Amino acid sequence: MNARIFLCVALLGLAAGPVAAQSRGQIKLPEFPSLADKASESVVVTLDQKLLGFAASWLSDKDPEEAKAKQIVNSLTGVYVRSYTFEKDYAYPKAEIDAVRRQLDAPGWSRIVEARSKHEQSDVNVFMYVEGDKAHGLAIIASEPREFTIVNIVGSIRLEDLHDLEGNFGVPKLDIETGKEAPAPKQEAPKPRKP
Amino acid sequence: MNEDIENRLRNALRRIDPPDGFTEKLLAALPGREVPARVTSLRVARPALPAGRWQRLAAPGALAASLLAAVFVGQQIGERRYANEQRAGLEASRELMQALRVTSRKLDVAYQAVHDHDAPPANVDAEESRT
Repeated sequence: MNARIFLCVALLGLAAGPVAAQSRGQIKLPEFPSLADKASESVVVTLDQKLLGFAASWLSDKDPEEAKAKQIVNSLTGVYVRSYTFEKDYAYPKAEIDAVRRQLDAPGWSRIVEARSKHEQSDVNVFMYVEGDKAHGLAIIASEPREFTIVNIVGSIRLEDLHDLEGNFGVPKLDIETGKEAPAPKQEAPKPRKP
Repeated sequence: MNEDIENRLRNALRRIDPPDGFTEKLLAALPGREVPARVTSLRVARPALPAGRWQRLAAPGALAASLLAAVFVGQQIGERRYANEQRAGLEASRELMQALRVTSRKLDVAYQAVHDHDAPPANVDAEESRT
């Protein structure tokens, strides 16, 4: 009898292990093994804290883009991306994406942006995992007829860093925190021509 | 009596010439081939020859060559390990940058949505809904 109880406790412990190991702000992303052959392009990135540190150590300080990325990555503990492009419409399993989406209904996660375009048939949702006044995770689920992308960034994400991330890779800043519009880029006054 | 014995003994031991052809018969009766002599080698300590210059340098030379080989092999292993680490590191950093770019692109779409939502509608039949 005692052996059975011990076995049950051990099995429960094994089952709970991966859940406990999953850090705050992290969602469980499927590997989508069946899509690798179907997709014309795919980006699958799985970088846990150890790999992130390793990857960051190889980023160049001289390249401004990489230097900024290095700075951002310092406070992160995981970066997970699944992005697939197809040559046919809706070749991806919606059920699996819905399963990922359901994880974001859990407490702590809140949707900060929801964008749907009937014209482009695109759907972009941005979620943040917030505890206290700090964001510990970011998730993006974007789907189009021929493309779907799931991004999960885990770690102590500050909105300022998020702004940096947006503005750094050629993307204008998104004023999520203040709700104000991003300042228009300064236009240089035309220099007087020399006679 | 004694003389008789002596005479008989002398007569018995007298020298007799061999009959004719005795030598040829004897040689013919000998075996035809020679049996090789059995030789047993004895280990004898040879006197030490005076060592030449090359012989004196052989042991230190072999040691030095071994050391050089060890250093060379170690260096090769280190370089290979560094090359593997570098390849893995660059691959990981490339993946990281790719992940950040994908994130950035999708945030750009979200930005565009928010921006378009805030902007005055240019088309009344706009089909897009953004929050």
